[in-house]
Amino acid sequence: MSGLPLYILLCSGEHERVQMAAMMASVGAVSERAVEVFVSMNALSVFAKEAPAEGRYRGGPFSRLLNEKRVPDALGLLRQAKELGDLKLWACSMALDVQGLEMDGLVDGLFDGPLGLTKFLSDAESGQMVVL
Amino acid sequence: MATQILDVKGLNCPLPVLRARKALKDLPPGETLQVLATDPGAVKDFEAFCRTTGNELVESSVEGKVYRFLIRRAA
Repeated sequence: MSGLPLYILLCSGEHERVQMAAMMASVGAVSERAVEVFVSMNALSVFAKEAPAEGRYRGGPFSRLLNEKRVPDALGLLRQAKELGDLKLWACSMALDVQGLEMDGLVDGLFDGPLGLTKFLSDAESGQMVVL
Repeated sequence: MATQILDVKGLNCPLPVLRARKALKDLPPGETLQVLATDPGAVKDFEAFCRTTGNELVESSVEGKVYRFLIRRAA
């Protein structure tokens, strides 16, 4: 691995923030950086299995542009990043509890498990943190 | 083995780099990959990608609106 590990704290479910998190995670992973994404707060519902395919991503005019220009789907980018590099996704255990979600209620094949913020922050001491 | 060609013209960031990474993984070390792209950000992106991954950017050129990169997979 080259470069500092990248830790992305994704709180927002807004389309552009989820998209940027997925872009950073995928570019980081294929550039041979270890990447971990901690999905919390409103961002978690974007990853719910029950989220409708149309309308999974919430947002305003820029979200509409992202859809119109058919930029790569954020969840698809994360899947590719997992295949091609060292990417881990964690579901915030607090956000799971608040939303009444279980791990099997999240989309398949992306998450490595539930995690607490204390552990994530502790791990992130050795790397670079980005909050979205 | 002949140089493999990866055509990512028309694809948005970060797909060109992701596709290149996938193609390079399937190549034996020392073999080259030619990437054709139209994203103007790709020039600096591929320079950075090669620097961080250890692959060699043998050539970078532009013809009209098409950018061409020749990348040799790291040993």
